Amino acid sequence: MAELWNTIILEPVLNSLIALCTVLGGSFGWAIIVLTVVVRLALFPLTVRQTQSTKAMQTLQPRIQELQKKYAKNQQKLQQEMMKLYKEAGINPLGCLWPMLIQLPIWIALYQSIMQALAATPENLLNLSQHLYPWAMVSQAIPLNEHFLWLKLSRPDPNLILAILVGGTMWIQQKMVTAPATDPRQQSMTSMTTMMMPLMFGFFTLSFPSGLALYWVVSNVIGIVIQYFVGGGWGYLRTPSAPKPVPDQKPVPVRKIAPTEQPSKIVQKAAEESKAIKKAAGEKKRGLFGR
Amino acid sequence: MAVNTSARSQGLPFPSEGEWVLPVKGPAAPGGMCGPLGCVPTAQLATVYGTPVVAGNLVYVATYVGDSGKVMAINRVAPGYDEEGIPAWNEGEWFYPRKENKFIGAVVGSPIVVEDTLYVGSSDGKLYALDEKGNERWAPFDTGSKIWTSPAFEDDVVYVSNYERKLFAVSSADGSLLWKVELPAAIASSPVISGDNIYFGTFDRYLYSVASADGSEKWKFEADNWFWSTPVVKDDVVYAGCLDHNIYAIHASTGKELWRFTADDQIVSTPVLVNNLLVVASKSGVVYILKADSGELERPVSIGSSVMAPLYTEENTIYVHASHRCVYGVDVQSGDKIWEFCYSDIK
Repeated sequence: MAELWNTIILEPVLNSLIALCTVLGGSFGWAIIVLTVVVRLALFPLTVRQTQSTKAMQTLQPRIQELQKKYAKNQQKLQQEMMKLYKEAGINPLGCLWPMLIQLPIWIALYQSIMQALAATPENLLNLSQHLYPWAMVSQAIPLNEHFLWLKLSRPDPNLILAILVGGTMWIQQKMVTAPATDPRQQSMTSMTTMMMPLMFGFFTLSFPSGLALYWVVSNVIGIVIQYFVGGGWGYLRTPSAPKPVPDQKPVPVRKIAPTEQPSKIVQKAAEESKAIKKAAGEKKRGLFGR
Repeated sequence: MAVNTSARSQGLPFPSEGEWVLPVKGPAAPGGMCGPLGCVPTAQLATVYGTPVVAGNLVYVATYVGDSGKVMAINRVAPGYDEEGIPAWNEGEWFYPRKENKFIGAVVGSPIVVEDTLYVGSSDGKLYALDEKGNERWAPFDTGSKIWTSPAFEDDVVYVSNYERKLFAVSSADGSLLWKVELPAAIASSPVISGDNIYFGTFDRYLYSVASADGSEKWKFEADNWFWSTPVVKDDVVYAGCLDHNIYAIHASTGKELWRFTADDQIVSTPVLVNNLLVVASKSGVVYILKADSGELERPVSIGSSVMAPLYTEENTIYVHASHRCVYGVDVQSGDKIWEFCYSDIK
């Protein structure tokens, strides 16, 4: 299994990365940046699909919350009603998952390639010999030049600059897509999650090779750009927080959904989002970016 | 660690006469322990990649800790450290650089000692020449890029390669550059000199022979992977272990292949010649004893763990250092393991 992974996924990415380093005058830093951009562009249709699916799902959030309150004691009924709601809106709840699953092996390969190519120790360099193609472009680049800007790519950044960049860009990206919750408990949970991941990755940056952190920063920045253009602007980054409930306010009665009721504006909006995804998928069949 | 081969073959408890263990502490490494406010330096044990060299009463060791290294001269009978690794220097022992908080780049290759001078290359790109008291013979020669190989010496000239594809010839008298050549790829193995030629492997999968007078190419031999281990030359034949699982015997003058033997795994460790036998170890831990003139297998010896360290021989015994922290003495004629010593439990 490991051998299959290496042959099909890891080695093509690793060798492309090293060959790119030769093309770019021996700068491994630029090779990481360019390959990250290329991979993200190649996966662009999947990212768009994922973003739109997520957006369509978020449009339905108020209705889902209503249902969760209404059927809090009957999970089976809740599931049925939610599936019905998804069906009305024409949304596949797993639709935002599979583009991510397809992208995952490529991200893992890119991560492994950067770690292996940097070969910080003699053992790492020896291990690299097992994964290289007999291309002149590859052998000429080995061992790679690890200096880039102020960084030594096989070592952690001694300054906090890269850690701040990794944490900051990750926070912006998460904030753009995370809808503020109305429930105060859920809201604190969401805001904690939004903070924890960037903090964790910022912390990792202090001990991981800076080449890997460089890849995280570039990947996050591209993610922000895609989110900006596909998701329609800065998203939830511009919404500071969800409206706070007034302490003495009586709970708003849950509106009963009649079986014959026409789909609400929310469902219609979600259905439109869903149609957009399907339309995009149809266009993709004609070729990448409709060509 | 000093291991008494006689005590080991008798199965005496460690440490016996002349045996010792010396923990070599590295510098307080930046990045050792990191937190949100930055990194706190932490002391750590040093790694020793290069083979130690014994000259007179001293053992010379060069260390590797992250980006830093030091060269140490230790009394080979009674090293100047206590069990806690605290320096308690004996007369004649030294380390370079002398100041405790000063370091050179990490050292991967082995130091060499010629007459009363030690030569060592470091990851900071410099070639150092030190006298028997640890003083610089001349200002370090800067190659401009990382040195991960051992230097070679012949006729008052030191040869050293760096990771910027260059091979340098430096005068041992004053450290001045005699010549340098740039190759199509960086040099993977340490160079070895025989007659008027220098032999080494490169990362573009070639074994090169160049003239020691000016670095001009004599021949190059292509394989399917890197020649990582240092080649061995005897009687106009170059024996070179390769990461493509083969050991090649190549005519030293013409570069023509004489024979090859295919092992079960990559050949990382440097082979040795014992009389008319060539002994080579594969990374998987099989030691092959071959006829040097034909490559015919005399016998394989299974070690049971990965072997990457260079082999060493003395008086018909081969010493093998395996990756599971065991050292073996193997009789070259019979292929029997005379003794084994595992030190993983020794603090």
